[in-house]
Amino acid sequence: MTQSILQRIANGDQAAIQDCLTKYGGLVWSIARKMLRNSDDAEDAVQEIFVDVWKNAERFDETKSSETTFIAMIARRRLIDKIRFSARRISADSLDDVLLEPFTRADKDMQTGLEAQQAAEAMRNLRPEQQQVLRLSIIQGMSHQEISDATGMPLGTVKTHARRGLLQVRELMGLDSLGGPQLSQGVRA
Amino acid sequence: MNEEQNEKFFDLLAQKAIYGLDENEARELASFDAGTTELEFRSLELTAAAIHLAGLEADEQMPSFLRERILDSGEEFIRSQRAESFQSPEKGANASSSTTGTYGSWFGWTGWATAALASVALAVNIWSTRLQPIDMAKVPTPVETPRALSPNELREELLRSESNVYKASWGAGNVKEFSNISGDIVWSEAKQTGYMRFRGLPVNDAEKTCYQLWIFDKTQDKATPIDGGVFNVQNEGEVIIPITAKLRALGPEMFAITIEKPGGVVVSKREKIAALAKIETSL
Repeated sequence: MTQSILQRIANGDQAAIQDCLTKYGGLVWSIARKMLRNSDDAEDAVQEIFVDVWKNAERFDETKSSETTFIAMIARRRLIDKIRFSARRISADSLDDVLLEPFTRADKDMQTGLEAQQAAEAMRNLRPEQQQVLRLSIIQGMSHQEISDATGMPLGTVKTHARRGLLQVRELMGLDSLGGPQLSQGVRA
Repeated sequence: MNEEQNEKFFDLLAQKAIYGLDENEARELASFDAGTTELEFRSLELTAAAIHLAGLEADEQMPSFLRERILDSGEEFIRSQRAESFQSPEKGANASSSTTGTYGSWFGWTGWATAALASVALAVNIWSTRLQPIDMAKVPTPVETPRALSPNELREELLRSESNVYKASWGAGNVKEFSNISGDIVWSEAKQTGYMRFRGLPVNDAEKTCYQLWIFDKTQDKATPIDGGVFNVQNEGEVIIPITAKLRALGPEMFAITIEKPGGVVVSKREKIAALAKIETSL
């Protein structure tokens, strides 16, 4: 059976480092550029992210997620730390564009994998306000307060949409089974 | 856990997965059962990553100097990992649990020491590659590489080498000012590559707009054509642009160029169609 790139890295395969960069370099770079909005910060962050990826390679479990999602998760973790550390929030280039963009581009699936398809499908099942809050918070990196200001939703409502939306997407993707016993109260929208 | 606590618990977990927590929030979350917290958080963090991937636009290419820098760090990492594996019996493939007593302690100590040294080396490498100016004296003399072919030469090469190439001529879209566009598009299904040739496509201000190609083929719904890549026009006269389709295009029927915001869009409103090319025959 073919080993994944991360398994090869965990086994000390030098060539896997190059393969990892070839396959995921653009993805990590795009996530960092989008979240940090600054190329200099993104350069440092991307290098740190790949070191994190290599260090955590042996923790990758292909029964729980795809490599792409695992690497995106590590990237997000590092970027969230950096954003919190610098106390900087990201504002969208154009809120109108963000609010209008549905998840429908045909070529997306190829680049981001099965879980991204499932997430996009799950997002379509959410209430429009929940979709909007998740898109603005997760993809655009806007804070709850910024979302509240931009959309006119009360702060508490934004938080509720974020929580319920995220839990519902998790449930629709079947990822809640990874998290041990499901605590279902408050999950449904 | 009552309903209020449950809501608070998941509020904190969602907050952590999306934004991270400050000290007070982290302390509050720590008051819940650690095992449950970890398991729930892990799946929510994966969910957030999947949503992020679903909403991500096309990958940008990482700068080549950054790639080289990271590759250097990677080599250092693998070296340190191998050293650690070699020195730490429990991590090696032929690990033996019988190394006890003086030797066991010695090997254990040297293993950790080597790992620590290797980690320091990795940190120094990252620090030095990121912060230190490049010593040009140490940069190896570049080897002469074959000259890269121009887009025009690549296009000619494609037409020479491929017997089955789709070809169509550009015509006007719905923008009156762009009515003088001419040129053609060629597409090789076998190689999944092609080139657009334009005359009369106006130079665009890359700060404000870009051109984006859409491929309508037999496999995709007409509402979700394949993104063929974004490009800018910097010169008057004839320009040749390579196609960078994000999906396999099979049996293309029509190509459209829209004018979009810089970086392109996920879904075009098709308000400004600069040019259209309809396949009539394949060569």
